[in-house]
Amino acid sequence: MDTVALSAYLGAGLCMGLGAIGAGIGEGLTGGDAARSMDRQPAVSSRLMRNMLIGQAVAESASIFALVVSMLLIFGDYSSPTSPGPAALIGAGLCMGLGALGSGLGGGMAAAEAMMGVGRNPGAERRVTSVMLIGQAVAQTPSIFSFVVSLLLIFGGAETANPIKESALLMSGVAMGFGAIGSGAGSGISAGRASDGTSKRPAAYSKLISTMLVGQAVAQTPAVFALMVSLLLIFVPDTVSVTLSSLAAVIGCGISVGVGGIGPGIGAGFAAAEAASAVAKNPLKETLFVRTMLTGQAVAQSTAIYALVIALVLLRLI
Amino acid sequence: MEEITRQWLWVINLWGHEFTLNARTLVMTWIVVGVIFLFVFLATRRASLVPHTAQNVAEMMIEAFKGLTDESIGERAPSYFPLIMTTFIFVLISNWLGMIPFLSEPTRDINTVFPLGLIGFVVAHATSIRVKGIRRYIKGYFEPFFIMFPLNVIGELAKVISISFRLYGNIMGGAIIIIVVSELVHNWLLPPFLQFFFGFFVGTIQALVFAMLTLTYISLAIHE
Amino acid sequence: MFDQITGSELIRAFALLGAGLCMGFGAIGPGIGEGFAAGKACEGISRSPEHANLLTRTMLVGQAVSESTGIYSLVVALLLIFVV
Repeated sequence: MDTVALSAYLGAGLCMGLGAIGAGIGEGLTGGDAARSMDRQPAVSSRLMRNMLIGQAVAESASIFALVVSMLLIFGDYSSPTSPGPAALIGAGLCMGLGALGSGLGGGMAAAEAMMGVGRNPGAERRVTSVMLIGQAVAQTPSIFSFVVSLLLIFGGAETANPIKESALLMSGVAMGFGAIGSGAGSGISAGRASDGTSKRPAAYSKLISTMLVGQAVAQTPAVFALMVSLLLIFVPDTVSVTLSSLAAVIGCGISVGVGGIGPGIGAGFAAAEAASAVAKNPLKETLFVRTMLTGQAVAQSTAIYALVIALVLLRLI
Repeated sequence: MEEITRQWLWVINLWGHEFTLNARTLVMTWIVVGVIFLFVFLATRRASLVPHTAQNVAEMMIEAFKGLTDESIGERAPSYFPLIMTTFIFVLISNWLGMIPFLSEPTRDINTVFPLGLIGFVVAHATSIRVKGIRRYIKGYFEPFFIMFPLNVIGELAKVISISFRLYGNIMGGAIIIIVVSELVHNWLLPPFLQFFFGFFVGTIQALVFAMLTLTYISLAIHE
Repeated sequence: MFDQITGSELIRAFALLGAGLCMGFGAIGPGIGEGFAAGKACEGISRSPEHANLLTRTMLVGQAVSESTGIYSLVVALLLIFVV
């Protein structure tokens, strides 16, 4: 039992353990709201049940990615000379585990609001479900980013002797994992309110979808920043100088862009959610709401941009 | 990753000083300028009351932005409308350029984006001085307390950083993601969708956000 | 691995680490808070669209104030990187 295999198992455990949190809470919320809706509208309980299962299945995809990554980690071949080092394997596990948190939670919250919507207005069931599915699909994007980074870390190549390079691999996983939380949860919140709005005003369906998509696209920005920095960290050259300050710069860089993205992602998602419910109340003023939302989101994101700038400066100092 | 980090530099020697030009960005910017000239030429050629296609597109964009500037700036809008409209069209075409093979977005370079942010910043502050007068403008930096002066200055400078790095981060992030994912899937099926998502969708939204934030900073300078 | 670490190197390293931690955690609060303000502005405009300009300006001023903690983090992080 060598350190590489040990760290792969540690990574697998962290990955699935963390990865189950978001989807667990989210699907619980969905189930609870579905039960409340059934209580109000027993006549449509079979349709509610079907929609609940669809919504939960999509919300679960993030933790299925986590399952795939931990399987890859458990059954990998660690005796070959091309196997990645311990840092990369733990990084891959952390990346997918943390990355599944936000998307799982967000997807579940979207499905929960959709359940309440179907219960309120069973006639709009089809439209509510399709808004929910589109919104959930976008909310899964950050977890797909995490999945890509985890795969790059697992299949990225052999361990190097340079400790700074190895810690850069670990921190690239941490950066992407944390960076995905806010965007996933935020996109999920806005998808939920858009589904809720669709049930209140099914005629504004297409306007709600476009408002939601624009808002979610802006809410993804912190995840895109995190992906960018984590790819830059993965491609740090093997020849980087080994000093204590470059180690600190690598760790600081990953934490800055990763943790710094949580708040702006959730905040931008919240703005998009309120814009969606405003569009549902007054669809004729759609452009006004989208404009206000975009301005507000853009300002709310400036802290994520400061975090990106600090991360890029630290990356230069490695 | 070499595609991203590879530089194409022109080094010019003027009066004993060396100037390094980022040639790729320069050429791409010229292409953008050329595209905009072509579009404007097509749109204004044989302009008629019943608009043809290019004229129609141009009129729609101009009307939308005219409404936006009128609403948020008020009676001073005509002097700022050209700036906002030009910024939007330049950033939009720049962001779309990356969708064409062998071309890259000039906005991928921080040296393009930062001056664009700086223009809006300078215009907003010049407006603020013109509207409030130099005394009230300077006094604004010492509020609410005297000691807040350095933080207020940094807060203003941070606006330039945030507006320019927002655009740069999104475009550069998109470019890096497209290259890495294309390599992972061996250029199979996925890249065109990613190109469309980051180039067209994100590019359009970010161009709109950039122009609107420039407008917002100016309107805050007028109304505060 | 790191032979003969001197005191100044140690300080430099902790300064860089601190800069990352500072900006990372400092960005959470303002991000959520400003997003909240933007959401409430949208809600307000949906109630009274004729006051859209006033509400947007109020939103921006409120966001600017809540962003100040983010700017403090940025300043501290930059000081840690370039001054310490």
